[in-house]
Amino acid sequence: MITNEKKTVAFKTLGCRLNQYETDALVTDFSNAGYELVDYNASPDVVIVNTCTVTNQSDTKSRSVISQTVRKAKNAVVVVTGCMANNFKEKLERQDNITFVVENSRKSSILTLVDSHFSGEIVHPDQLPQDVFRYEPVRKSLHTRSAIKIQDGCDNFCTFCIIPMVRGLATSRPVADVLESVRKTVENGFKELVITGVNIGRYEDGAVKFENLLTMILELPGDFRVRISSLEPDGFGDDFVKLFAHPKLMPHLHLCLQSGSDKTLLRMRRMYDVAQFRKTVKQFRAIYSDFNFTTDIIVGFPGETEEEFQQTLDAVNEFNFSHIHTFKYSVRKGTRAERLENHLSEKVKNERSLLVRNLSVENKMNYFKSLIGQKQDVLIEKITQGTASGYGQHYAPIRFKITNGQRNTIQTVRLTELIGDDENCYLAGELVL
Amino acid sequence: MMSLMKPDMQMDESFYKIEDIRQLTGNAFSIKLPKARFAFKAGQHISLGIVGGNQSREYSIYSGENDPNLEVLIKEVQNGYFTPQLRRLKVGRVLEIHGPFGKFGMEPELAAHGKFVFIASGTGIAPFRSIIRTYPTIDYTIIHGVRYSEEAYDRDQYDSKRYKLCTSRENKGDYYGRLTGYLKSCTFAPETHFDLCGNSDMIFDALEILKDKGFDRDQIHCEVYF
Ligand SMILES: Cc1cc2nc3c(=O)[nH]c(=O)nc-3n(C[C@H](O)[C@H](O)[C@H](O)COP(=O)(O)OP(=O)(O)OC[C@H]3O[C@@H](n4cnc5c(N)ncnc54)[C@H](O)[C@@H]3O)c2cc1C
Ligand code: SF4
Repeated sequence: MITNEKKTVAFKTLGCRLNQYETDALVTDFSNAGYELVDYNASPDVVIVNTCTVTNQSDTKSRSVISQTVRKAKNAVVVVTGCMANNFKEKLERQDNITFVVENSRKSSILTLVDSHFSGEIVHPDQLPQDVFRYEPVRKSLHTRSAIKIQDGCDNFCTFCIIPMVRGLATSRPVADVLESVRKTVENGFKELVITGVNIGRYEDGAVKFENLLTMILELPGDFRVRISSLEPDGFGDDFVKLFAHPKLMPHLHLCLQSGSDKTLLRMRRMYDVAQFRKTVKQFRAIYSDFNFTTDIIVGFPGETEEEFQQTLDAVNEFNFSHIHTFKYSVRKGTRAERLENHLSEKVKNERSLLVRNLSVENKMNYFKSLIGQKQDVLIEKITQGTASGYGQHYAPIRFKITNGQRNTIQTVRLTELIGDDENCYLAGELVL
Repeated sequence: MMSLMKPDMQMDESFYKIEDIRQLTGNAFSIKLPKARFAFKAGQHISLGIVGGNQSREYSIYSGENDPNLEVLIKEVQNGYFTPQLRRLKVGRVLEIHGPFGKFGMEPELAAHGKFVFIASGTGIAPFRSIIRTYPTIDYTIIHGVRYSEEAYDRDQYDSKRYKLCTSRENKGDYYGRLTGYLKSCTFAPETHFDLCGNSDMIFDALEILKDKGFDRDQIHCEVYF
């Protein structure tokens, strides 16, 4: 930067963990370059909106945040990036009040673009280098856990998903880069790392596959623990299951089932069936009986019959997910599912969604209750009026009383009771001294 | 002929000029393009758009890995959005191709030693032609389900002893009826690899039959078109 005055920057992030990680990395970049991070409402010099386009609702939300931004921050440099910037690039570029539209592949170079702008250099975003892994290890973050990006893109082309169109082909970050990023992130003080990407199970760098990379990460020295963000149930070997015996790897997986009906799964172009999913769940629970599985379910996919939906309810019951991210199917323009026959009415989708949500709460409460009496190592995220809150190894939310505790430390807690009887229920515990 | 490309538009790596169109039936045709500028595994697919248009669709690669042309097999879908436009294209028009995509690609090691049954409905035969052209000595049987025998696209290019045609609307194939009916009557060696391609209803039924016959889901690979 060439001016002496400290410039201010604000960020708005929508969507998934990967987007959040990329924002965190940009925050680090801008802070290192001397920018001051300010609230979005504090008339910043630069506003970066990191958008999402995964559902129609995400589009609406992203659009509304962009309009709000350009209205509020009239004199600011407005940068729109993220998946929506890929999906609606030309449309966004035609909006005068947006200074730059930067595609995902060039997102990591936004600082260069903004710096050039302030120094009077004319740089078009398309001139920025394309590199989806060029992010700084996160330093200054609003979170206690940091994501580690190991992979980007996906070419599975599930019929409901727009991601392959906006994130491009599957690509893996080189092993050495990943390990370096882990080392630096741990040095920066993070106690918990979340291995992140679009389809991380597809990680492949030469002979190194996902589970090999995970082994290498776990063997790095340091006081940290590791979570896996979300996995496609593509089938895992016994070696992957055994890896979870490692004390640094947390006993929780978010395995995206999407439907409990094999017919629906095929229409979604998901290349596993319920029996394979069952096999995976059994493999894990045979060794780790309280292993926590959470999942995504889409209800009301085109052509979903009563019987197919019932199979989903059966699967939800059988696999005892402690949390279900329930998506009511909505047409995503540009996907294959848009052109499938037999789209269902909103009424049916609402009814089915409610049934899954209710079951999900029931399962969550049952799973949390099963943990009562156990000791959990809780990473403290927040302390309010002497009550600490955070997540234990199994990714159950836990609260407990503490005096002189500190955020971003791990404390052992014995779980005593379940509080609440809805989606937001949590476990209460006592500090083990 | 008029090109859809704007005058200032550069010839991009992903642009391919149509070299030939082979009409195979009343509504199915193949489009021949210059040799692929990317390496692909037989069985994989590409996305194909018309330059200047706003949509694209996925198509399995119909040609072999070493063929001098990239080729796709297309069936015009009645009331479809994209295929009627493709149908109207003439030699010389430019298509935008991205890829290759997908995990349905054949591994050379497996092709050399494996025993395969390829099960296809309609244009679902496309990836298998690519595989067979790439690995001419591969040990395979194709079970191809169509409605009319004329849909046995490029039938003469397969070893007649290895190609089983099932026709559901006329008795002109090796089997009269749906391919799933034929599949039920077959016996296969336990180590067989099954590759299924086409519409999801056929794939669902075929999977059930194969699982009933005792084959493991891990021996079966699927490519769903719709
Ligand atoms: C991985 C993959 C590979 C594919 N490879 C091929 C290929 O090699 N050749 C090919 O012709 N198509 C192939 N398809 C289908 C292709 O992508 C288009 O869906 C198809 O060409 C119809 O496009 P459309 O815009 O005309 O129809 P749309 O307006 O998209 O209407 C779609 C409807 O047409 C029907 N339909 C789709 N494909 C077919 C088909 N092949 N035969 C009969 N009905 C169909 C379905 O009911 C679907 O709901 C493939 C699809 C995938 C996902
Ligand atoms: S696996 Fe399917 S749902 Fe997941 S990103 Fe890829 S296409 Fe989308």
